[in-house]
Amino acid sequence: MLLSVQDLSVSFGGVHALNLSHFTLRDKELRVIIGPNGAGKSTFLDILCGKTKPDSGKVLFNETPVLGKTEVEIANLGIGRKFQKPSVFPSLTVYDNMLLAFKMKKSILASLFFKPTEEIDTRIREVAVKVGLITELKKVAGELSHGQKQWLEIAIVVLQDPKLMLIDEPAAGMSDEETEKTGELLMQLARHHGIIVIEHDMKFVEQIAKELVTVLVRGKLLVEGSFDEIRNDQRVIDSYLGRANVQLENF
Amino acid sequence: MNYTIKVWAGIALCLLMGKNAAAQSDSIGILISQVLDPPHDSARSMALHKLVALRDASSFPFLGAVNDKKIYVREGKPVTTGEETGEDSGIFPLYNLYPENTPVTDASGKPVAAEAGSLQKVDISRTDRLSLGPVLAYLNLANPDPKKRIIAYGQLLTTSDSSKMNILAEALQLEKDKDALTAGKEILFQMKLNASLSETEAQAYIDSLDSNWGENVTNILQDYAASAKLPAAKAYAAGKVTALETLQSRIEKAQNLFSGISLGSILILIALGLAIVYGLAGIINMAHGEFMMIGAYATFCMQSLFIDTLGINSDMFFFVSLPVSFLIAGVFGLILEKLVIRHLYSRPLESLLATWGVSLILVQLARSIFGDLTAVKAPSFLAGGWQVMPHLILPFNRLFIIGLTIVVVSLTYLMLYRSRLGIRIRAVTQNRSMSSCLGVETRKVDAITFFLGSGLAGLAGCAMTLIGNVVPDMGQTYIVDSFLVVVTGGVGKIAGAIVSGLGIGFLTKVLESFYEAVYGKVLILALIIIFLQFKPRGLFPDKGRIAED
Amino acid sequence: MEKTKDYRLYLAFVVFFLILLPVGNLLGFVSTNTISLWGRYFCFAIVALGVDLIWGYTGILSMCQAFFFCLGGYAVAMHIVSAGAAASGGSGVPDFMTWNQVDTLPFFWVPFQSFGLAILLGLLIPAAFAFVFGYFIFRSRIKGVYMAIITQALALAMWLLFLRNETMLGGTNGLTDFKNLLGLSLSSGNVKLGMYVLSLLVLCGAYFLSKKLVGSKFGKVLQAIRDSESRTSYTAYRVLDYKLAIFMISALLAALAGMLYAPQTGIITPGRMDVKASVEMVMWVALGGRGKLKGAILGALTVNFLYSICTSLFPDSWLFILGFLFVITVLYFDKGFLGALEMLGAKFRKNKPAARPVAETETLQS
Repeated sequence: MLLSVQDLSVSFGGVHALNLSHFTLRDKELRVIIGPNGAGKSTFLDILCGKTKPDSGKVLFNETPVLGKTEVEIANLGIGRKFQKPSVFPSLTVYDNMLLAFKMKKSILASLFFKPTEEIDTRIREVAVKVGLITELKKVAGELSHGQKQWLEIAIVVLQDPKLMLIDEPAAGMSDEETEKTGELLMQLARHHGIIVIEHDMKFVEQIAKELVTVLVRGKLLVEGSFDEIRNDQRVIDSYLGRANVQLENF
Repeated sequence: MNYTIKVWAGIALCLLMGKNAAAQSDSIGILISQVLDPPHDSARSMALHKLVALRDASSFPFLGAVNDKKIYVREGKPVTTGEETGEDSGIFPLYNLYPENTPVTDASGKPVAAEAGSLQKVDISRTDRLSLGPVLAYLNLANPDPKKRIIAYGQLLTTSDSSKMNILAEALQLEKDKDALTAGKEILFQMKLNASLSETEAQAYIDSLDSNWGENVTNILQDYAASAKLPAAKAYAAGKVTALETLQSRIEKAQNLFSGISLGSILILIALGLAIVYGLAGIINMAHGEFMMIGAYATFCMQSLFIDTLGINSDMFFFVSLPVSFLIAGVFGLILEKLVIRHLYSRPLESLLATWGVSLILVQLARSIFGDLTAVKAPSFLAGGWQVMPHLILPFNRLFIIGLTIVVVSLTYLMLYRSRLGIRIRAVTQNRSMSSCLGVETRKVDAITFFLGSGLAGLAGCAMTLIGNVVPDMGQTYIVDSFLVVVTGGVGKIAGAIVSGLGIGFLTKVLESFYEAVYGKVLILALIIIFLQFKPRGLFPDKGRIAED
Repeated sequence: MEKTKDYRLYLAFVVFFLILLPVGNLLGFVSTNTISLWGRYFCFAIVALGVDLIWGYTGILSMCQAFFFCLGGYAVAMHIVSAGAAASGGSGVPDFMTWNQVDTLPFFWVPFQSFGLAILLGLLIPAAFAFVFGYFIFRSRIKGVYMAIITQALALAMWLLFLRNETMLGGTNGLTDFKNLLGLSLSSGNVKLGMYVLSLLVLCGAYFLSKKLVGSKFGKVLQAIRDSESRTSYTAYRVLDYKLAIFMISALLAALAGMLYAPQTGIITPGRMDVKASVEMVMWVALGGRGKLKGAILGALTVNFLYSICTSLFPDSWLFILGFLFVITVLYFDKGFLGALEMLGAKFRKNKPAARPVAETETLQS
């Protein structure tokens, strides 16, 4: 198992944001998590990457406990995170954004005496081609469009070469065409990395969910199954219906 | 020699007969009139000598005035002058000297004051004044100033005159001032204690000293416990000393608690406005202290207006100043908001720098208008204090500030949590864009909030005039402290501002009582940094996923 | 093209300050007063470089740089004063201590009798201070405004501490009455010129080192921290280390500047390290153009030059001028003098109206 989670629980001001009794992920598995707003999806990823401290629970990543570690330690373990709101370095160039992400020694001294190498440059350009940013390398990241920023952030995560990627709503704010491209990219990445994707767009979910889909509702795991099973599960429909959620029309 | 014995016997007799003996008073009256207007050359010095020999307490005010060369005649009676009213005014209040030592009043009963030059002065030669030597120690016992009387009582300790105890007892019967009476009694009991020969007598005086509870009682009893010859009384005194010391340390603690609360209330008054504004708009207003300064100057201006221009010499000005300082500081805040702040919402660091510039301008402005130092006279009803018990006095001005803080905090709380405006302010604080979508006019809310925040600072400034001078950079003394209050309390939290304001104020005073003020400050900073290690978002942080972004 | 322009600018700077002014001084055209004034401005420019590194590049607003500046200044001043006292014979105790009835040199003064140790401690103490203080602040993730306020409180507390007589640092009067440094008389014109040149050289050195630093990957990480601290740590950079390093570097630059400053002024007092002094240092950078090393130097030099002119021409209005400059710069010239100059330059070159003013794009964002 790449990731196994037990009895994870966190609450904000008395409200249970997450109460996950069991969750596992195989190596090189692409898992999609769906659920209505406030289901605790982002909170779950926040805990995995060290942003939020849970009240109790156990998280093992490659048999190593994750909880209690700092963000940097978790990143070094091999977990990379893409946020819902694109989080890049807006005043640096696209190239520098990717250079900083590249997997290497990241201590102060290493940074001070860093010399760019052919290998790093090739790899960055390779990834830039994949995410469609090869022509924008010299541009300042703050000037990119929303979709491009999403891709840049994915590129940042890819260049860290993590074993597990946590991808939060990659398709938000993208055109249909861009969304499809993102989907292809994710499936390609899943050949080498474990990936957890949070998504609302059901068309996109259908495109990428070749394995299991997990449904979270009010912090709890409602059901796990293939996309078709989920689509026809009455409980899932109810939970979306009960909240009169806009995503309903996608079903 | 023979003569002296006779005189002493006479005095003793007179004291026994009581000071109201008619014959005695008359003779003093006659002697005094002879001093004022001597029928022949040597009559004045003879009369003075006789007065000295009589050592009668009722003549001391007169003799004291003679010694001070402040003897005047008004309507045939001897009078003297008191402390000058106001600086360099040349006007002095007048006091009767005999038969009673009271302020001179006119027909309607109002005290009379006069220019020194307008009075008919009686010049007494140096030789004559020197003849007062034997009673000099007693003269100030009748001084109109209670503080001088206290000193005079103390001086009796070192006088070797054996009749001093009787004269002191005599003088104390006339004593009306409470503090002076306590101080005088302490001296008397001390003398009697030291002269006591029996255990019971000594213990009785130790008890008297204890219940009188004067300034130096611990020292006196300590000395006695160390040097007395009566063993039981010695032990008894030592026991009393321990009891008194415990009591005193308790009182000191109470006093510290009180000054901590009063410092805390000032910090709360200042920090309240800061916290609201920072929470609402992400504005760090470095000029906030200057709004306090504006409030203080508004109070000063009201004082000048009332007293100098309108000639109303009453405490009314202070009550008018409270709302006026709020309004003026608020209006300044509003102007600042329109000119500068509104371009800087949600850019705290920029707002910090720009408002620092504004604060420079305001300080310099105040300096060029008002000069460097001005003071507001505290209203007379706030002079003095509430004496909870002997040696524990809570000054009224500090009590007033605490009361004002309670009122202001309650009003602010009601405004924020019980009014429509409050709902809007809280809505914008929590989610600006959503509020604006829901039809809250955020700009207007910002402006009103800024007005209120600045006004609160102005009110704090008005209160500050009660305990300090009004100076152009008075705001900067408190600004860093009040920011620490905001940081410790948590962003935009009223409860946070109150708890941390009180906490910091209290800790400052407690630490100051152990260490010097400066080290207290350094320690406070260290404590705050340690505190933030555990609670980086202050006492009352926002919770939830969004709050962490 | 950018490069050649830079070189032309450096050349002009060096020719003017390193050749024209000193030669003019030697020939008697430029007064020694002017020379020593500019020598001090260069010290301020060195501090400004440090402020720009930590604030402009890393986004950490440190409001206690003047304190570090004074730590350096006091170190050198302590050396000059104690060495002077030792040279004049007697107990070797400085005069001001004798007046306070102190007749043996306090233990912490002893190492400062040696010049080498004084310099070493003058750098070590601020660095250690920045390390310890910074560690606790950055560890608990105090940032932004909180950082500004805490450092301001530190500056205030330290200022109060230095004002005290019993800290044995001269209290309110500070340390003064400097005579010789390494056997050179500080009042001689040639020594003043020498200090001027030294300050200028140190400034140039500091500038080029800072430029190297900013251009390296280290510098990019600093900017990454400014842009998004969380993204930086998810990208596996230990933000705490980087912040501490740059805080120490900026403290060292400030201390270095203080060391050069004290002998040139002949006095160092706690007045140099109050809250106001630190905020002013930040303002030099804001006015010059933060996030650009050249801007920091430009700001420090122009503001201080303006200060000298204004205080002699209209002494009462300096604070008004400074205050308005603060407000207007923050509101309308986000990029400072340098940004304004560049905008002006662009206008001349293209001979058409410059880009729209910054302020309008920077208004209320929710």
